[in-house]
Amino acid sequence: MTDWNAMSDAEFRKEVRGFLEAEYPEELRHLPHRPKFAEIEHWHRKLHTKGWVAPAWPAEYGGMGLNAAKLLIFYEEQQRWGVNRGRDMGVQMVGPLIIKFGTQKQKNYWLPRILSCEDIWCQGYSEPGAGSDLANLRTRAEIDGDDFVINGQKIWTTMAHDATHIFMLVRTDPDAPKKQQGISFVLAPMDQPGVEVRTITTLSGETEFCEVFFDNARTPRENLVGELNKGWTMAKALLSFERIFIGSPSLAQNALGQLESFARGRGAFDDPVFRDRFAQAALDVEDHAALYSRFADQLKRGETLGADVSMLKIWVTECFQRITELMIEAAGPDGGTVGPLQVGNVSVDVLASFYKARPTTIYGGSNEIQRNILSKAVLGLPD
Amino acid sequence: MQSSEQEEDLRLLRESARTLFDRAGGSGRSRKLRDAGGEFDPDMVRELGEAGVFGVAVPEEQGGLGMGLAAGGVIAEEVGRVIAPEPVVATIGLGLGLLRRLCPEHPKLEQLIGGEASLAVAWQERGPGGASADATCRYADGKLTGGKAWVVGAGGTQDFLVVAEADGGPVLVLAEASADGLVTTRRAQADGSSLGELSFSGTPAAELACGAAVQRALSEAVADATALAAAELVGLSQRAFEITLDYIKTREQFDKPIGSFQVIQHRAVDLNVMCEVAQAAVREVLMRMDGETDASIRARLASRAKARAVTAARKVTRDAIQLHGAVGYTDEFDIGLYLNRALVLSAWLGDDAYHRRIWFDAREEEGAAQ
Repeated sequence: MTDWNAMSDAEFRKEVRGFLEAEYPEELRHLPHRPKFAEIEHWHRKLHTKGWVAPAWPAEYGGMGLNAAKLLIFYEEQQRWGVNRGRDMGVQMVGPLIIKFGTQKQKNYWLPRILSCEDIWCQGYSEPGAGSDLANLRTRAEIDGDDFVINGQKIWTTMAHDATHIFMLVRTDPDAPKKQQGISFVLAPMDQPGVEVRTITTLSGETEFCEVFFDNARTPRENLVGELNKGWTMAKALLSFERIFIGSPSLAQNALGQLESFARGRGAFDDPVFRDRFAQAALDVEDHAALYSRFADQLKRGETLGADVSMLKIWVTECFQRITELMIEAAGPDGGTVGPLQVGNVSVDVLASFYKARPTTIYGGSNEIQRNILSKAVLGLPD
Repeated sequence: MQSSEQEEDLRLLRESARTLFDRAGGSGRSRKLRDAGGEFDPDMVRELGEAGVFGVAVPEEQGGLGMGLAAGGVIAEEVGRVIAPEPVVATIGLGLGLLRRLCPEHPKLEQLIGGEASLAVAWQERGPGGASADATCRYADGKLTGGKAWVVGAGGTQDFLVVAEADGGPVLVLAEASADGLVTTRRAQADGSSLGELSFSGTPAAELACGAAVQRALSEAVADATALAAAELVGLSQRAFEITLDYIKTREQFDKPIGSFQVIQHRAVDLNVMCEVAQAAVREVLMRMDGETDASIRARLASRAKARAVTAARKVTRDAIQLHGAVGYTDEFDIGLYLNRALVLSAWLGDDAYHRRIWFDAREEEGAAQ
């Protein structure tokens, strides 16, 4: 077993880059939509053989066991090469939770199936009445003999129509004094009569989001992870690393690169107003990267990130949106045209970028929620 | 990533600079000096010199501390926090920047490091329309003719370091403030300081250096000063934000602190993010400038820093007034001093729009060269 953490950062980066550049299928680079598993299965097989499916998991569970510094490099290289995240909900979300809070039996059963993608997971958190106010969730799970019986509805469940299992937050004690209490974390199979999936078509015409309806769906009680009614705290414990990842500069950097080649081809740089707005956007990206490195350095020193890391997400997602808006502007009369626009030898799908940037300020805790967090936890502003 | 040793050195430097300025009276001292109509405090200059503040970026073999621009940035941030009127950045960036590059043996260098001399640098010129113009100020037969503008520290200086044109190209000369044929006009600035407009008519001056080296040294020194001015604005913005944050936590309306209202909270967060991005960017720029020898890359980095710092300072100081409400518009609250200082520092050596243009053009040139 290779000890990746013992390598120098530069060596490790070279190793990852070399593998991705040699092995990652060209047709999957910078994929504009979320793929179904079948579309990326050949890539997943390679990753699985290499043992690189779960970079953050400890080696004993089949992961790479990377520390924060190496993990950051791994993700940076993936993003740099336009590597698709794949169907990584299992690896990113449910796996770490089982590793941290699950029983030995749960680990033995579920973890290998996540790595092999025998099970493909989706995340059942949001509900129609529980978005930013997630703790308001109402989907019930009641104990009936050896099973939980689940009733309710989840929404914004990414790729639920291509998942075999769902991990979900459910209400197991509706009488708990605070709504954050009485929530549990359970795993459930999708393929059963009581589960119905309906896809939601987004503004960009994609169908990656779903609604999932539960009508007396069942899951064995042994699929409860952690203690009953402790699901909220567990789910929150997982978010720490996610928060720097979601604020990484790569999406904005890639968009800026696209904007530049597109605008150059279109002659937009002849306009001094456009030049200044481009310079603003480019500097916004560069200066964000400086702040990002400050947080990354903190992680590399082994420190835990504070709530202030939320500022990365606010800045970079809003910047990403401005960049894609500039693309639309540079497209002029083609600004509403669907599909790739050809300029010289590059083709840029201006609308796809624009749409891709919209939900970034909404998901992962909307930017308004991030501002609430910063104002309370960092600035200490009163209620 | 900085080495931990260097990081520790900078942290100590920051602490001692902060203590020094706080002990001297913080921003209250700046208000007093402004009200007294003075430019800056010569005793404070001496004290800063004794503490080694001016020599931080001067190499050790030339009598400085050899800690680089990153250390200069630490000092500049602290100057900005208390809006100290002493020309610290102008001295570190321009005065010492020119002397150490062109004539390190000159006794003025040591005096300037020690805070025993004052030396204002005159390099820009005003064209017929009032905007900046190419240099026309002449130096011949040991005498200066023409004019210079936007000279920081002109009010309290003993000598001027002047960049002028001679037959053999640009020269760097030293002229006494009391020399014959030199008329200094002070243009009052928003923060109570002044910028000097100099007019020479056969003013005697001593040549210190000449030729292409002068132009090179000037460009480098201006880049240094630009990046340090950015650091000064970062410290200023940070402090203006802290003052505002304290204010919205304590000011009550509708029986609650106004900082409990979400619209105020979100505005405060945006200012905070602005400050943090500016601080991270400017500190990164200074570190990179220390490790960079290519003059055009250094200049581009400096432009990036000033563009960011001006954008942040403008947003922070103006929103700070709004968040203070009516009292923010009075001279009784310190927050206005920060706004005024930000106006002056933003205009000096180019604002954000100017530096974005420079930055973009330099980026295009580099792109074309590749």
